[in-house]
Amino acid sequence: MTTTSANVGETLSRSETSTPTAGVPQPARLASGGLIDRARSLPFSFDGRKLFGHPGDTLASALVANGVKLVGRSFKYHRPRGILSAGPEEPSALVELRSGARREPNTRATSIELFDGLEAASQNRWPSLAFDLMAAGSVFSPFLAAGFYYKTFMWPASFWEKVYEPLIRRAAGLGRAPEGIDPDHYEKAHAFCDVLVIGSGAAGLMAALSAARSGARVILCEEDFRLGGRLLCERGLIGGEAAPEFVQRIEAELRSFPDVRVMTRTTLFGTYDHGTYGALERVNDHIALPPPFEPRQRAWRIVAKRCVLTAGAIERPLVFGNNDRPGVMLAGAVRSYLNRFAARPGRRAVVFANNDDAASVAVDLHAAGVEVAALVDPRPETKPSSVALAEKTGARLIAGGVVTGAIGGPAVRAVEVREANGRSSRVACDVVAMSGGFSPNLHLATHLGGRPVWDETIAGFVPGDTPRGMAAAGAARGTYDLADCLAAGAKAGAEAADAVGFQTRPSAVPQVEPQSAAVTPLWRVRGHKGKAFIDFQNDVTDKDIELAEREGFRSVEHLKRYTTLGMATDQGKTANVNGLAVMAEITERSIPQTGVTTFRPPFTPVAIGALAGHARGKEHRPTRFTPSHEWAHAQGAVFVETGLWLRAQYFPQEGDRSWFDACNREVIAVRSRVGVCDVSTLGKIDIQGADAPEFLERVYCNSWKSLPVGKVRYGVMLREDGFVFDDGTTARLGPDHYLMTTTTANAAAVMQHLDFCHQVLWPDLDVGLVSVTEQWAQYAIAGPKSRELLEAIVDREHDISNAALPYMACSEVTVLGGLRARLFRISFSGELAYELGVPCRHGDAVIRALMKAGQSLGVAPYGLEALNVMRVEKGHAAGGELNGQTTAQDLGFSRLMAMGKDFIGRAMSQRSALLDPDRQVLVGVKPLDPSARLSAGAHFVPLDVPVNPENDDGHTTSVAFSPSLNVSIGLGLLKRGRERMGERLRAVDALRGTDIRVEVCPNCFLDPEGARLRG
Amino acid sequence: MADLIATPRAALADVLRDGRYGRTDGTPGLTLCERAELSLATVIARKGQSQALAELVKSAYGIDLPSTPRFAGGQLPDGRFLIFIWAGFEQWLALAEGARDFDRELTLGLGKRALIMDQSDGRAILRLRGPKAREALAKGIAIDLHPRAFKPGDVALTTAAHIGVQLWQVDETPTYEIAVPRSLAKSLWAWLSASAAEFGYEVTSSE
Repeated sequence: MTTTSANVGETLSRSETSTPTAGVPQPARLASGGLIDRARSLPFSFDGRKLFGHPGDTLASALVANGVKLVGRSFKYHRPRGILSAGPEEPSALVELRSGARREPNTRATSIELFDGLEAASQNRWPSLAFDLMAAGSVFSPFLAAGFYYKTFMWPASFWEKVYEPLIRRAAGLGRAPEGIDPDHYEKAHAFCDVLVIGSGAAGLMAALSAARSGARVILCEEDFRLGGRLLCERGLIGGEAAPEFVQRIEAELRSFPDVRVMTRTTLFGTYDHGTYGALERVNDHIALPPPFEPRQRAWRIVAKRCVLTAGAIERPLVFGNNDRPGVMLAGAVRSYLNRFAARPGRRAVVFANNDDAASVAVDLHAAGVEVAALVDPRPETKPSSVALAEKTGARLIAGGVVTGAIGGPAVRAVEVREANGRSSRVACDVVAMSGGFSPNLHLATHLGGRPVWDETIAGFVPGDTPRGMAAAGAARGTYDLADCLAAGAKAGAEAADAVGFQTRPSAVPQVEPQSAAVTPLWRVRGHKGKAFIDFQNDVTDKDIELAEREGFRSVEHLKRYTTLGMATDQGKTANVNGLAVMAEITERSIPQTGVTTFRPPFTPVAIGALAGHARGKEHRPTRFTPSHEWAHAQGAVFVETGLWLRAQYFPQEGDRSWFDACNREVIAVRSRVGVCDVSTLGKIDIQGADAPEFLERVYCNSWKSLPVGKVRYGVMLREDGFVFDDGTTARLGPDHYLMTTTTANAAAVMQHLDFCHQVLWPDLDVGLVSVTEQWAQYAIAGPKSRELLEAIVDREHDISNAALPYMACSEVTVLGGLRARLFRISFSGELAYELGVPCRHGDAVIRALMKAGQSLGVAPYGLEALNVMRVEKGHAAGGELNGQTTAQDLGFSRLMAMGKDFIGRAMSQRSALLDPDRQVLVGVKPLDPSARLSAGAHFVPLDVPVNPENDDGHTTSVAFSPSLNVSIGLGLLKRGRERMGERLRAVDALRGTDIRVEVCPNCFLDPEGARLRG
Repeated sequence: MADLIATPRAALADVLRDGRYGRTDGTPGLTLCERAELSLATVIARKGQSQALAELVKSAYGIDLPSTPRFAGGQLPDGRFLIFIWAGFEQWLALAEGARDFDRELTLGLGKRALIMDQSDGRAILRLRGPKAREALAKGIAIDLHPRAFKPGDVALTTAAHIGVQLWQVDETPTYEIAVPRSLAKSLWAWLSASAAEFGYEVTSSE
């Protein structure tokens, strides 16, 4: 983030020639100065070429110091591009960083901190950067103007995906995606503060200091690896100190406060509701590999009571011919490379600026030994400040003149200048420092919808209504004078702290020399030669804007979509204002009338990995483990995800050819002997209180008050709209104490529903409910020998005989010598069966005890597959049938519904559409050919009619192969199904290409009288 | 078969092993352990009985039942350890050390005024202690744990790594305890151990 200020004061003498440092030549490195560590050299590579820089460099500054000008090729025309800026706004110098799985495309060279072994490569060129065959596209560029793709690749439609898209993707676009899964670790973190300061330039430092001195908790975020912003590029004095020393002193004081957090390498990328901000900390981007246990990046969610936006301003390019040639740079960037990085972008410069601040870069160039060939000042009246600058630097002042075009291919060689009198001349140069004024960095002030306001005096937008709690100061709100920035920052910081209860005053501001930032807009050079770029990253020229206007895309939002102006990784940071100013000029409207596009987070690109943090791979969401998990794992169980739960699907044994064999074996074990299944995942809700029976009456459609203590009942719950919500059993443990079970899938939803009913609908009821799903390990013990097995572990004093504990009874018992447990005589399999509940910490021991005790009985563990087969055999409704579109009547529960009472869903369940006799209802189906296999989702179509939607009478909802009956069986929803028993239909599965004849039958296939479960 | 003793198994039994983990240099930033031997119960005031319940708790245990997100209690005069942790409107999580049949004891003592549900096995309790405990927690918990904002005795119902948790601060070391649904304890551990690794952490089997 940059702040800006001119300083024409002291000149530090620098030798004109560079000397090799640390034994490694860097041809364009100045001999002295700069905030770099010359004692150390960092090797890095660019396009395979080995180069050296110093700690303190960015990739861009190291390239400048090595005399590298050509850095990449442009998006559409493959034009040679260099380095335009020195900050996050960079549209041109985009490189691929690192290699393999760590490759990062489209990374801004200006924001990459140099490290030992950095690998960077240019993009969008083939076969090489210097010789790019795709640049031939430039020859055809008259055809490639805005909207070209829309107009050209319209038809035939069949070509869109097969021909045009690959073609466009090959020719256009930037870097390549990484080749593998990112091996690095990312994380998220939360931070809280009283005052958040965004940007650490002159205003930001003073804001943070004033707030910190008040005792407030302060967070100062700086995108750069060093605090100071634009101050790092200043050669003048601040209160008698050199600017970098001033920065260091303030930083030291800030770091001395225990409740101040200084975050460098941290980009504040978004403003969100209620004082929440998103920030990205590049923890270890500045080294080749993160150290062990450290993340690469960290995404911060910062909650701040107050915020001071001191994010600086971004310089605008001037729009003239070939203004994208390598060597044409923003004036502030030139100053930055010279003063901060001691890197010389050229030997002979032309300065072309419409404002006093940028023109003063001539002094910096001169001081660094760069010849200033010309100072081109487009402002009509000759400025005394420009005259003084020209005199001081020996530059030729071309007042009232403009640069009409840059000359040169891979690098600028000269510029064509049109003087005030209309005469043209050529000025040789290898660097052009240009400036069209500054745009405050107000993005973060607009993320919640605030509109920027045009300020004529600075020719830029400033923040309008800022989000609650945010104040902008310094260059971010259009204040460019250094003294004013320091004072505004101190004031804003103090006010922010004061507003949250820390009484304080602005810190004293050091003396600095007065400056001028006077600007006269020049939105584009008329009569320029060659393409004049507005958006460098998207190859949008002033001609494209003219074209958009001619074709009716005059609104800024349309302009953006039609030309792509302001899109991609830089989001038009250097382009937006120039673009809409040119549109304003063409349409003869003012800039505020033309409007401004909307800024959205993120301010700069954020890796998805950082937003995911730890929630990646299997940690994408939590996993719930059942109490028997370790035991089942040791048995070699195959697990399946059911929601968050991991459940045993089946227990393979030697000789099993597939899950199918295992499943059949497990079903047979249950039906003939005894099986054990972990059913702890079912929701369990403890309901207590004097009104608990009444509560159940209201939430279930069947009746409850008649249920005696020690008994269990099946219950069906409807939604308000009359459809079935969930089902399960509820046990009456005491007069005012019930234990409800829900399906695994709806456990949380039912709990929420009951809480809502209790807290909102019937707060008058004396009832309390709590989920105890996690408390109990619950095992289904099913099969003719299940009682025998239980008798082996239930303590002797408890009578669990058929007489003492009949079907649908429940009892508190103890097992294994005194362990408290609950025993329910309920059955999902249709066999004599129980569910045994024990406290979870004993779940592991109890499953082991059951298996051990059951060895002589031939006990087998069974998984979800077998469980499902047995419930289909019994015709119980489950997920496929409880699909949110079925009613209690559809599922055959009409007689269960207690219409004499009120309950949730009662009124809506009586709607005519829900009572329509034509509704699809639950039936069973069997294939006519016993060897045929049914498939779930097959549609029922009567015989001898065409297969079409009109003849679709329903579908199979669940199918299974029944080892008990040795045939494939299915449950389904069939129109008027109960009247169609014995009818033959087709079950057509277009997806799997099957068409099977089936016979309609009752949904219970096995033991319909229920003799087994009462045994 | 009454000779079979059901050995209890801690929620994190198969992932926690005593030792030093993560960053290996310097003193560990925090110490972590599972408190597997605790008794827990949900206590809900019966309708209209919250005042009477508070009086009952005061007279029975000498504890002021908290009505804000705090916990209260500690070592009782008889040497036992018992705290009531606020868990929502007129709800608490009662936590005791070394109790037997804790739910029955509470039902006997408070049952007239409160509904008691045993949760001893429903939650795993993790204890974190050390200078980096706050920083490790900040990687997943959206609660301001700065000493000015969150003090010993404070309680929060929040989420960590997409898991609903209850968190309270025990002392100024700082020491925190987190209650997590038992089935999700391993997932919480995966996040917590990854978050603590940067600072180096020690796992101990007891506090």
